[in-house]
Amino acid sequence: MPTPTKGPRLGGSPSHEKMMLANLSANLFEHRAITTTLTKAKRLRPYAERLITMAKQGDIAARRRVVGKISANSATNQAIVHELFTVIAPAMAEREGGYTRIVKIGNRKGDNAPMAVIELVMEPVSPKQAVVKEAEQATATPAAQPAQEEATEVESTEVESTEAQTTETDSADTATTESESAPAESTEAEGQK
Amino acid sequence: MAVPKRKMSRSNTRHRRSQWKASVPKLVKTVENGRVVYSQPHQAKLVTDSAGSPLFYEYKGRKVADA
Repeated sequence: MPTPTKGPRLGGSPSHEKMMLANLSANLFEHRAITTTLTKAKRLRPYAERLITMAKQGDIAARRRVVGKISANSATNQAIVHELFTVIAPAMAEREGGYTRIVKIGNRKGDNAPMAVIELVMEPVSPKQAVVKEAEQATATPAAQPAQEEATEVESTEVESTEAQTTETDSADTATTESESAPAESTEAEGQK
Repeated sequence: MAVPKRKMSRSNTRHRRSQWKASVPKLVKTVENGRVVYSQPHQAKLVTDSAGSPLFYEYKGRKVADA
């Protein structure tokens, strides 16, 4: 559950804030990314993500709750709700929260307000690289264990320690080569730009 | 409307203003195409072409917004 917002309402009154969040989220679902002030983007994030969670439930009750939130009286907003349930929610099916991304883009000319782009994360979910590495190590160690059991009991402790070290160094080598290759690619990409 | 009762002396004004301080912005240093570039951390960076005209904002290798 998102933490309750502290401080004054956006726009001066609770009803104004309600309307603002509804309109901002409707525009976010329509355009996939919107530019707004950092404060509004931060307030919008839990609101919009909750609507996406409702859309992922996908039943008629959830749809009515969303319609009630973003005031889908107009044809435009009805189309937005339809798109939320038919396009955005299926795209977010694999994603467990974190449906939006906020990027700061500097201060606005005129009133120097910090601005941000808030966008829907529509890319397919990629597993965390740390988790992938852990899984690879988990698969690598069972293969090494039978070889350790074949060794004699007297030398078993020493052999295990040495073999464990070798496997660790092997995995470390592969990890370093992978990590070295990735930054090189990124620098090349930056150089091309 | 609230109105000042007395004239503020030149001394008081200048003592107050002597407390105004500028703070140094936090910057990160990167090398791009052999040139050292300073930029603000955790913020999208303006990408320019060779002539120096702005193209778009970029953050972590992703195009974020138009310039």
